[in-house]
Amino acid sequence: MLGTSVILALVGVFCIMDSRLLGRLNLERPLITCTLVGLLLGDLPTGLTVGASLELMSLGLVNIGAAAPPDMNMAAIITAAFAIMTDATTETALALAVPIALLGQAIGVLGRIFLANLTHVADNAISQGKFKRAVQMHIVWGTLIYALLYFVPIFLAIYAGTDAVQAIVNMIPGWLTEGLNLGTKFLTAYGIALLMSTMMNKDLTVYFFLGFFLVGYLGLNITAIAIFACIAAVILSGLKFKSSGMAAAGGADALDDYDPLEDDDL
Amino acid sequence: MSENNTALKKRSDFKKYLQFFWRSWAIQASWNYERQMNMGFLYGIAPTLDELYPNENDPEQLAHKKEAYERHMAFYNCTPQTSAFVLGLAASMEEQYAADREHFNPETINAVKTSLMGPLSGVGDSFFQGTVKIIAFGLGISLAQQGSILGPILAILISLIPSWFVTWFGGKLGYTMGSKYLTKLQSGNLMDQLMYVCGVVGLMVIGAMVASMVGIVTPIAFESSGLVMQDIVDGILPQAISLVVTLGMFTLIRKRVSTGWLLALCIFGGVAINALGILA
Repeated sequence: MLGTSVILALVGVFCIMDSRLLGRLNLERPLITCTLVGLLLGDLPTGLTVGASLELMSLGLVNIGAAAPPDMNMAAIITAAFAIMTDATTETALALAVPIALLGQAIGVLGRIFLANLTHVADNAISQGKFKRAVQMHIVWGTLIYALLYFVPIFLAIYAGTDAVQAIVNMIPGWLTEGLNLGTKFLTAYGIALLMSTMMNKDLTVYFFLGFFLVGYLGLNITAIAIFACIAAVILSGLKFKSSGMAAAGGADALDDYDPLEDDDL
Repeated sequence: MSENNTALKKRSDFKKYLQFFWRSWAIQASWNYERQMNMGFLYGIAPTLDELYPNENDPEQLAHKKEAYERHMAFYNCTPQTSAFVLGLAASMEEQYAADREHFNPETINAVKTSLMGPLSGVGDSFFQGTVKIIAFGLGISLAQQGSILGPILAILISLIPSWFVTWFGGKLGYTMGSKYLTKLQSGNLMDQLMYVCGVVGLMVIGAMVASMVGIVTPIAFESSGLVMQDIVDGILPQAISLVVTLGMFTLIRKRVSTGWLLALCIFGGVAINALGILA
C-alpha cells in the first residue's frame, strides 16, 4: 500500500510539473493521468474509461489568469486509483471526484498564497546582490513546493482513504448508483457548457449548432467534425477578413478598407 | 543589433532561443497570488542580464544589474507559449538598453511587457486552452471510450506540436524582429482573425461533443399505448435531451450561478431525477 501510494503521488508530481515546467502540454489532463494510473496499477481499461469521463467533465475548467477552478487534475489521479483499487463502479468513483476536486482547489489556493513569500525572499536577495538566489526561488523552491502540493494530498488520500472509500462503496444501494450515473452525465453537460461559455458569442453560436446537427442527424464522428471545422474556419475567415492569403502574410493595411462581412462586433 | 562590448562571453543565438523556449515553458514554476509569473519572467531573462552585466565587482555594473533584476520582478502573467515572444523581445530591448543607456528609456521595457500580456494571453489561452485542447481531447476521448490507448497518445501529440512550434518561433521572432512585429500585430486584425478561426473550430467540435458524448435519455414509456418517449425524441432530433440539458447548464453559468452550486445540482439533481424515472 505504501509503495502504491508513493507511485500514485509521483504521478501527481508528473501532473503538476506539466503546467509548471512544460508550459502546460496537457499531460496534466485527466485522460492522460488516468491512463497512466491504469497502466501502473495494471487496469488500463478502467483507467481509460475514468479518464475519458473525467476529461469530458473538466474540459471546460480552464486555468486562465488568477482563476482557480476545482482541481480535477488532482482528483482524476485519486479517482482513477479508487476505481481500480476498490469495488467502486465508474459512476461512484466519478461522483467522488467532485468533492476531491473542491478540496484540491482549496489546497491550490492556499499554496499559491504561500508562494507569494518566495517573491519577497527574491526581492531581498536582489537588493543584497544575491542574484542566483533570486532565480533559485523560482526554479528550485517554486518547483519543489508545487511538487509537494500534489505529492502530499495524493499520498494521504490513497494511503489513508482507500479503506474508507471501500467501506462507503459497500453501503451504496443500487438506486444511488443509477442516480449517480445520471449525475455524471449532468456533470458532462456542465463541463461542456463551461467550455461553451468561454467561447460563445452571438456571431459564433451558429457553429455550435452546426457541429451538433452534423453529428445528430448525419452521425459524423468527432474526427470528421474537426477536419470540416478547420476547413470551414479557414474559408470563413477568408471571407470575413477579405483575402486570407494577404491577411496571413500580415497585409494589415489592406484589411482596413472595405469588408463585405463586417459586423458590428469589430 | 546586439553588438555591444559589455559582455565578455557571448551566448550563441541558438542557445538564447533554447533558453527562451525552455524558460517560457517553466514560467509558472512559482506562480503566486501576488505578482503571478514575476519570478518566472525573471528566470527567463536572467541569462541575458547576467551576460550584459558580468562584473559584479564593478559597482556601476552591479547597480545596473540590480536595477534590471528588480525591473523584471514586476507583475507578469501570460500564456507560457506566447510568453516566449515577450521574453525574446524584452531580452533584445535589454541588450539595446545596455548598449545605449543614454537614449533608451528602461521604462519602455516593462511598458511593452505589460501591453503585450493582455492580447497575447487572450489569443494564447483561446488557442491552447480552447481550440487545441478541444480538438486534442475531443478526438482523444472518443478513441479512449472505445478502449483504445491511441486516444491519450493522440491527445498528447496534438497538444505538443503547436505548443512547441509557437514557443520556439515566438522566442526567435520576438528577439530578432520584435518591435517590427509588434506594430504589425497591433495595427492589423490578425488577432481578431485568429480568435475567429479558433472560435469557429472550437464551437463546432463542442457542438459535436454534445451530440456524441453526453448521452442523456428518458425511460418514460406509456405501456398502454406502447408509446416510448425516447423513440419520439430520436425521430425528431437525436440527442435532443442532451442538447437541452447542456443549454440549460450554459444558461445557469451565464447567470453566474457558482460552481459549487452547479456541481451539487448535477449530483443531487441526477440522483433525484433518476429516482423519479424522468431521465437516465
